[in-house]
Amino acid sequence: MTETTTERPPVLNTRAVVGLSACAAIALVGIFLIPTLQEPSGGLNVRFWTMAALELIAMGGVVYFVLNLHEEPNER
Amino acid sequence: MDPIALTAGYDLLGDGRPETLWLGIGTLLMLLGTFYFIARGWGVTDKEAREYYAITILVPGIASAAYLSMFFGIGLTEVQVGGEMLDIYYARYADWLFTTPLLLLDLALLAKVDRVTIGTLVGVDALMIVTGLVGALSHTAVARYSWWLFSTICMIVVLYFLATSLRSAAKQRSADVQSTFNTLTALVLVLWTAYPILWIIGTEGAGVVGLGIETLLFMVLDVTAKVGFGFILLRSRAILGDTGAPEPSAGAEASAAD
Repeated sequence: MTETTTERPPVLNTRAVVGLSACAAIALVGIFLIPTLQEPSGGLNVRFWTMAALELIAMGGVVYFVLNLHEEPNER
Repeated sequence: MDPIALTAGYDLLGDGRPETLWLGIGTLLMLLGTFYFIARGWGVTDKEAREYYAITILVPGIASAAYLSMFFGIGLTEVQVGGEMLDIYYARYADWLFTTPLLLLDLALLAKVDRVTIGTLVGVDALMIVTGLVGALSHTAVARYSWWLFSTICMIVVLYFLATSLRSAAKQRSADVQSTFNTLTALVLVLWTAYPILWIIGTEGAGVVGLGIETLLFMVLDVTAKVGFGFILLRSRAILGDTGAPEPSAGAEASAAD
């Protein structure tokens, strides 16, 4: 049996995988950040907005990297 | 069972927080879900399935970290409302800010909608959680209820979008995808609607329900909306591209055995 097709499947985008891992790390930092930012680092609202910003960045990153998790072989 | 345990939980850490029982159970269930999804997805090569696994593993993974932080009292703060200090588990909002848009992304990928639609859906969802957080941190009842109302309106927009635009898009796809999409959308519609109701009757709102019961109910909602959602999604053929199916139907298994 001979293989006649020349079409190659999309390959995993390594940068997207690294990006997803980084986003997970950022999300974890966001969750555990507030106790490390005690009063001298700013009021309650500053600390919560920092947390919210980190979670938003992490979530946006996951959306982006999942949508780009694969690339066509000729894109590399 | 002791009714006290039902109403308040059990103080596992001895720090005067009976709700740690429910937070501990929530951490374990989220971790179990995460490891189950990792084990199930290990070695998956299908392009589309990998995308669903990436999202669906991250959701309970981050939620388990949020629950662990609340369990140890890290994700807890106090907010003065009127003359009273309220215990606020703010880590919930960090969890929801990260995970709820990703659950919607799963549904958007199932329905195969364009990136503008995904961005809109995710954006309104993030606004829903951020305004909920602003409400939780507000110091007056008027401000708290106003932000709750704003957040709830955002939620209604998201759910309306799911039940109309995304459902229409999903109708263009296979029967497996439509069935899975409809099941997951129904789950989201019911569970997400319960969140603002629980908030308004809980300690952050009218205070009809105590912190123990509130924590228990949020834990049940969270585990069902994340692990239950992922379980239904990842067991479905709908997550596969055109290359195969992980779980043959009963009929196909019988044929193969013949």
